[in-house]
Amino acid sequence: MKKPELLLIDDEPMVGQRLKGGLEKLGCAVEICEDPARALDLIRKKNFDIVITDVMMPEISGMQVLEAARTASTQTRVIIITGFATANLAREAMEKGAYDMIAKPFKPADLRKLVVKAAVEMGYSDIKEY
Amino acid sequence: MPFHIRDKTARMAAPDDKDLLDRPIFSFRLQIILGFFTFFILSVLITISAMITINKIEKRIATVQTWDRFLFNIEQARRWEKNFFLYGTNLKDALESTGAALEILNENINSLDSSDYSWQKEEIIRHLDRYHIELNRLSQLVESNRSQPAFQNEIEANLRQFGAQMVEEAAEMAAREYEMVSRWLHLLQKVPAYFLVFLFFLMIYMTRFLSIRFMKPLKYLVNQTRRIARGDLTPLRPVRKFRDEFTTVEVAINRMLKELENRQKSLIDSHKLRAVGILTAGVAHELNNPLNNIMLTAHTLMEEFTDIDDDEKLDMVKDIIGETDRSRSIVHNLLDFTRESKSVMEPLNLGRLAEETTKLAVNQAKVRGVPIHIQIERHLPDIIGDRHQLKQVFLNLVLNALDAVGSDGKIHVRVESRKPNLVIAQVEDNGSGIPADVLPHIFDPFFTTKPVGKGTGLGLSVSHGIIAKHGGRISVESAPGRTIFTVTLPYYPTARGNEEKPGSSEEPPH
Ligand SMILES: Nc1ncnc2c1ncn2[C@@H]1O[C@H](COP(=O)(O)OP(=O)(O)OP(=O)(O)O)[C@@H](O)[C@H]1O
Ligand SMILES: [Mg+2]
Repeated sequence: MKKPELLLIDDEPMVGQRLKGGLEKLGCAVEICEDPARALDLIRKKNFDIVITDVMMPEISGMQVLEAARTASTQTRVIIITGFATANLAREAMEKGAYDMIAKPFKPADLRKLVVKAAVEMGYSDIKEY
Repeated sequence: MPFHIRDKTARMAAPDDKDLLDRPIFSFRLQIILGFFTFFILSVLITISAMITINKIEKRIATVQTWDRFLFNIEQARRWEKNFFLYGTNLKDALESTGAALEILNENINSLDSSDYSWQKEEIIRHLDRYHIELNRLSQLVESNRSQPAFQNEIEANLRQFGAQMVEEAAEMAAREYEMVSRWLHLLQKVPAYFLVFLFFLMIYMTRFLSIRFMKPLKYLVNQTRRIARGDLTPLRPVRKFRDEFTTVEVAINRMLKELENRQKSLIDSHKLRAVGILTAGVAHELNNPLNNIMLTAHTLMEEFTDIDDDEKLDMVKDIIGETDRSRSIVHNLLDFTRESKSVMEPLNLGRLAEETTKLAVNQAKVRGVPIHIQIERHLPDIIGDRHQLKQVFLNLVLNALDAVGSDGKIHVRVESRKPNLVIAQVEDNGSGIPADVLPHIFDPFFTTKPVGKGTGLGLSVSHGIIAKHGGRISVESAPGRTIFTVTLPYYPTARGNEEKPGSSEEPPH
């Protein structure tokens, strides 16, 4: 059975470090990236099923990642993580086709629920919360 | 009741006024009065001495007249005497004349004695006596009708001798006295001329003295107002040893400075609160990062508690502690900026200060996706300043730059030292630039091009005030796509002492 491909981008290293294990346990193939510029390259090279990205990062913002991912494939589900959720930001994200948004600080389980939901929608039936 | 009549006098003795008022009074009124009084005394002296001189001249003239009359009588006697020898006229008239001469001498003996010249009193009187005696002898001889030519010849010779001597002496005295009179007169003629010349110079001197006395404090005040206009609000110090009418002005200026300083301080404070408001979004974001890390780590620890080994658990707990520390320092950084604080002048590393301040705004910049590059010279010399106020200046500049840049904005913060004793800090952005017609106004209070609610227009005005207070300058260079604000602050070699107030160094010496 094919695993959903997942890319997690956050310039805070601890985020990927802590989330990776849990997401893999769900049954995802998880790639972690701290540098958004490298993330853009990855997105261009390979179609991810799910992209999880922080918004506020140096040089390249999560919005650019969102755009890149949606351009690469409209199938990609992009989940936005933000440290400061404003109505403006939410509107912009939705307009650009984000799947959902989650505000820091969040529980790993909450993110996992979102991921499961997205994966199931995409047809990955054997993905579920353990 | 908080209302006191004595309030005014109490304020008069406020510490700043005290130095000014703790001097002896020497007012211009007093100085002018003294000047005119000196002038009056001099005039009185001149007048009195002129009167004395005239009086003396009068006396001398009287003496001259006395001698003239004496001489006249003697000459009269000599004439009678000559007539007697030539024509045999009587001698009675001659005797009368010598008597009159003697009388004149006796009458005026006091005034003659008071003369400046010692006259040969005994000599003249003796000669007069002898002349008189010889005349008497001659008249007795004539009355006795005995002809004794030898005796008569002897008398005649004596008469000639004493008569001639007397005339000579009297004439000499008269001439001397006359000369005296003319000398005094001469002097009297010159005195008014001298007095005029003296008066002329005295007036020039007094005019100069008074105008210098007026101009100096005026000039000082003008210089001080220039300094104040540049934003240096240090109170005036006493420069003269005494108090005068200008002191009132100085005290008033100092009071005004105090008011200005208070007002400036409240402007600074209110603008600071605004800046803090702007920062909140960024700070909230920044704070959420470590909070998120704590949350994720704690949850992971809980979920995987039984699956992981102790080392890993310890690492996670350490991470939690580290992130808590990070949160604390974020909050501390903001609070440190917000805190109501007394203005303390202390040695500061401007580079570190700029770095700390930029950190405050860096998340604000992240929100907008604007990178801030910081470039700081190593081993910067310390400047003397108020850290909170200088932070506020940098924050204003960085926030302005953030407002000015677009989506591809970039901000550079640079701090470096310049010869001879300057530290310069620059905030550069690649934003819209400042139009030429706006540029002259940007430092004016309440001047803003930003929409209501977004800008108050106090940022640069407050920054300018703060930098001026530190004895520095803030300048701007702008073109579309490149705006650089430059803060220049002087530093003082530690050898010269750090207590010295930077702002006071440009005062002209007095
Ligand atoms: N870096 C900059 N680029 C372009 N314009 C600027 C820049 N800095 C300042 N200005 C102009 O100068 C004006 C005055 O700035 P100032 O900081 O005094 O007030 P403000 O930023 O408008 O309001 P506040 O600082 O109170 O929020 C601004 O409105 C803006 O027009
Ligand atoms: Mg401003």
